Amino acid sequence: MLSCRNMQYSVGDFTLRDFSLDLTKGDYCALLGPSGSGKTVILELIAGLRPLKKGSVYINGKDHTHTPAQHRPVGILFQDYALFPHMTVFQNISYPLKIRGKERSEIEKTVNALAAELDISRHLNRMPGTLSGGEKQRVALARTLVIHPLVLLLDEPLSALDAPLRESSVTLLKNVSAKGITILHVTHDPSEVITLAGRRISIAP
Amino acid sequence: MLFLIFALKENTMHFRNNYTAIRLIFLFLSGVMLLFIIAPLLGLFFSTSVPDLFQTIRDREVYSSIGLSLGVSALFTVLAALFALPLAYIMARKEFRGKAMLQGLIDIPIVLPHSAAGIAVLGFISRDSALGRFADILGFNLVGSPFAIGVAMAFVSVPFLINAARDGFQAVPLRLEQAARSLGASPFKVFRQISLPLARPSVITGLVMMFARGMSEFGAVVIVAYHPMTTPVLIFDRFNSYGLDYARPVAVLFIIICILVFIALRLPGRKTKGT
Repeated sequence: MLSCRNMQYSVGDFTLRDFSLDLTKGDYCALLGPSGSGKTVILELIAGLRPLKKGSVYINGKDHTHTPAQHRPVGILFQDYALFPHMTVFQNISYPLKIRGKERSEIEKTVNALAAELDISRHLNRMPGTLSGGEKQRVALARTLVIHPLVLLLDEPLSALDAPLRESSVTLLKNVSAKGITILHVTHDPSEVITLAGRRISIAP
Repeated sequence: MLFLIFALKENTMHFRNNYTAIRLIFLFLSGVMLLFIIAPLLGLFFSTSVPDLFQTIRDREVYSSIGLSLGVSALFTVLAALFALPLAYIMARKEFRGKAMLQGLIDIPIVLPHSAAGIAVLGFISRDSALGRFADILGFNLVGSPFAIGVAMAFVSVPFLINAARDGFQAVPLRLEQAARSLGASPFKVFRQISLPLARPSVITGLVMMFARGMSEFGAVVIVAYHPMTTPVLIFDRFNSYGLDYARPVAVLFIIICILVFIALRLPGRKTKGT
């Protein structure tokens, strides 16, 4: 499903050399490494938010090395959630659908169904600034899942949450994984992915 | 122990006294500064009689000059924004060789003497220039036209818009733009739907600053177009031809209008910040 071949990239003092990764459909893979080891950069390279210096990215057998970020079948959940502060929760989740020119009735139906599934229906009219960390994460996840990505990239999704919220978030990610989405979960904390990841890859600092 | 408490108390009192003295000095200096700004304006208002002011409002030359100043400045602010906002966005987001030099270039109109800016604009639109020759072929003389006034106003005031908008775009987290890209938005949609709305307070401030600076411009405008007269040129003309008493009511009226326009245009920006 996701195949990264000999990815090379450098920015400032950081250099990524020949990073390769192969994930099959439905894999839940943890990418472990300390802060500054370039984990987030790898996610951004796969998502197309940074241009690769060398190497290739294949998704579902198709070469996406030079595909612009907006056309890649990849969803990314940022560590700080990156919710649009000037839009309501509903507008945030419906944003990708609106861009794709979907009908208003279809947008409402899809967003309401996803919000019910992620237990955020009551927050749809709120602004992101008024949400708790766990609620923000669910909204960001809903906004990413609404485009049905083939690959879901998670950047330290649990690090900003306290213990009780972490447990519900782990259950949530398990449910997402059960849908058959290929997941690459980046973290510096191996204990975070014990019950989640079927595969683990460590990268050196 | 007693000595320690005494020393601490002494120290606190000394700090308090010192703090109060500094506060008084700062308050005094701030007061002088505010008086420096307010006193000439108040003097101007108090030395103008209400009947003079009403007579001035009915003066056709005065209200047509006010209309010209506001209209041309507004039009050229909107036109300039079409070019200034993309430039501000590039200056906020991109790193490239010569960026510092380009920033210096953008700021040049701020540091130029405005009469020199007027001479520069005149060279750009006179019949000797390519633009002036082209307009001449079409039967227009750019010098002394509202177009010349607009170009002169925009030349000296557009850096305010570019710099305010650049600061606004810089304050938008890059992550939000990346999130929008990954959700399927094209770079233009990211600009229009994410960056521009989030930078809106700064962009509005920049537009207001450019408009206000443009409509009150004298030095550059008087070089490129003495006629038709904008209000700052009219104030100068009346002062030069008839003296202070004739210039004063026009100045008071224009200051009132400037303040009203400034307040009206700042309101939407303040509302946005509040929400």
